[in-house]
Amino acid sequence: MSDENAVEARAARKIYGQGAGAVTALDGVSLLIRKGEFFTLLGPSGCGKTTLLKLIAGFESPTEGQILLDGTDITYDPPNRRPVNTVFQSYALFPHLTVADNIGFGLRMQGRPKREVADTVARMLALVRLEAMADRKPGQLSGGQQQRVALARALAPSPKVLLLDEPLSALDLQLRKEMQVELKRLQVETGITFVFVTHDQEEALTMSDRIGVMQAGRLLQVGDPRAIYTRPANRFVASFIGESNFLTGTRDGDTLALGAGPRLTATAMDGAPASGPVTAAIRPEQVRIVQGGGEGIPATVVRSVYFGTDTHAVVALTDGTEITVRMQSPASGDAGLAPGQEVRLTFEPGALIVLPEVA
Amino acid sequence: MADRSFSISRLPGFGTIAVAVFVMLYAPIAMLVIFSFNAGDSVAIWEGFSLRWYPEAWANEAVKDATWRSLQIATCASILATTVATMAALGTTRRRATRGQSFVYLMINQPLMVPEIVTAVALLIFFSSIKVATGYQGLGYLIVAHAAFCTPFAYLPIRARLEGMDLSLETASADLYASRWQTFRHVTLPLVLPGAVAGLMLAFVTSLDDVVITLFVKSAGQDTLPTYMLAQIRRSVSAEVNAISTLLLLLTVVLLTAFFLLTRKRT
Ligand SMILES: Nc1ncnc2c1ncn2[C@@H]1O[C@H](COP(=O)(O)OP(=O)(O)OP(=O)(O)O)[C@@H](O)[C@H]1O
Ligand SMILES: [Mg+2]
Repeated sequence: MSDENAVEARAARKIYGQGAGAVTALDGVSLLIRKGEFFTLLGPSGCGKTTLLKLIAGFESPTEGQILLDGTDITYDPPNRRPVNTVFQSYALFPHLTVADNIGFGLRMQGRPKREVADTVARMLALVRLEAMADRKPGQLSGGQQQRVALARALAPSPKVLLLDEPLSALDLQLRKEMQVELKRLQVETGITFVFVTHDQEEALTMSDRIGVMQAGRLLQVGDPRAIYTRPANRFVASFIGESNFLTGTRDGDTLALGAGPRLTATAMDGAPASGPVTAAIRPEQVRIVQGGGEGIPATVVRSVYFGTDTHAVVALTDGTEITVRMQSPASGDAGLAPGQEVRLTFEPGALIVLPEVA
Repeated sequence: MADRSFSISRLPGFGTIAVAVFVMLYAPIAMLVIFSFNAGDSVAIWEGFSLRWYPEAWANEAVKDATWRSLQIATCASILATTVATMAALGTTRRRATRGQSFVYLMINQPLMVPEIVTAVALLIFFSSIKVATGYQGLGYLIVAHAAFCTPFAYLPIRARLEGMDLSLETASADLYASRWQTFRHVTLPLVLPGAVAGLMLAFVTSLDDVVITLFVKSAGQDTLPTYMLAQIRRSVSAEVNAISTLLLLLTVVLLTAFFLLTRKRT
């Protein structure tokens, strides 16, 4: 259904350089981005996020593969012929033009009538709440204001897709939070497809409709924030987004045997080996510690650290595997866990996930 | 005594030497300017203040003629040099570094390094064969010759400007539907303009003040202001020359001040 997809990458590969110095920045990425969604590319530094954006914007062309926009192959179209705009990390505002002229630049280059340019610029200034700054030069604006001009400039020509390469990374925490809200609002108001790049997992989880997690030039998993967090496709995703405890054991149907030790109920992900040695993951906040006997897996407290709202405890299972548990600190502040203390661990069914890889 | 770090200005004798250097640099120029207002026609004995040499120099047809020719040559040559230099600077900063890049720099800046007299003789030989072949005797030779040695002066500030420019601006322009030409016209050119104007002025001043190459290349009756003055001084030292020099000095100071204002870093 190509008419539902704003952007499609088909087996896109990008190799920079040649011979011994060649770097594979993208290693066969296939991706569908739906119309009108807030899509985030998330991954560690150097995983190829910017490269993928450059292929979509047209600043680079793929070594192999195709890029489609609205179902049309645009792989070799130059950037100025693609209805795609970019918000650059450094903003790249034209220093010799006023805020209004910066915002109107794309429309003027397209040769739109003066009236239309003026109307759109006024609308954009209102959208990013910079009406009072129209006649200033970019050098006379604060970082957050420059950021908003960059956004307005990229939105003014009503692109089919807006690409944002870590647009918030230069801002301080307070402003960053404000701009996250602002960006989300702009995306909803304009209905334009946003492709957003970040290596901040919290930003990705709070803002996106869907997230694509990348590592070393590959796309590991695509899904909505909940799916990515609760059903990570592999060990990398499980540890890159949030924290996870990894257990290795032997799978037998719905149970996971940890060595000769306890047998646990586990939910298998698609592609997990049906039997034999496997890796399973569980989030620290999904594990509960029960003191004073009863149901659960026996464990020994190794240490407990107070973090204010949270207390983190490290406990050891009978086979020696260490598990981190995150719990809300009690009112007294003291969770009452002493090293060496015997406790039991419980978790809800579905919290322990068997990953699709052999241990 | 808060700042105890080393400072050259605290070395003994620093002040004396500094004053001596400034006197050596500027005393002759000061003398020149002062004696251009001398009432008498000596350049050594002060006979009272007068402005007579200025209108006198201006009334001299030969001076007017040489001034007009100098301005024509400097204007044409500096525009030509700036155009060539802008293209050269774009070529050397806006493409991937190729092998032989430093050789290209060397070629562009060659006139700065080769002794002027060598360039002058080479141009003399080259142009005289063209003169014989075509019969053309006009100012074109001087303009081309001046453009050639002025090009590096224009090239350096333009290249500095282009290198200091954020390349993502041109990428952003292409992203916003600008063709290559539109990007050059609306982004690169306006941003490089202060560098180009600075280069133009530097080239203009350099051309205006050239003697050696002009002497070798000019045809009969093509005196520029400097070669005219040289000829005058050979005959007799005249206060008229002082007046012309003072005006040239004024023009140079104005242009160099503008150059300084254009190239200094924005705060
Ligand atoms: N022009 C280039 N020439 C050679 N190698 C490059 C070039 N651009 C990127 N690379 C390499 O390609 C890989 C991916 O780079 P890319 O910029 O896409 O990463 P990224 O995910 O955006 O990283 P970051 O989060 O640090 O911005 C890196 O190993 C990088 O060194
Ligand atoms: Mg990047």
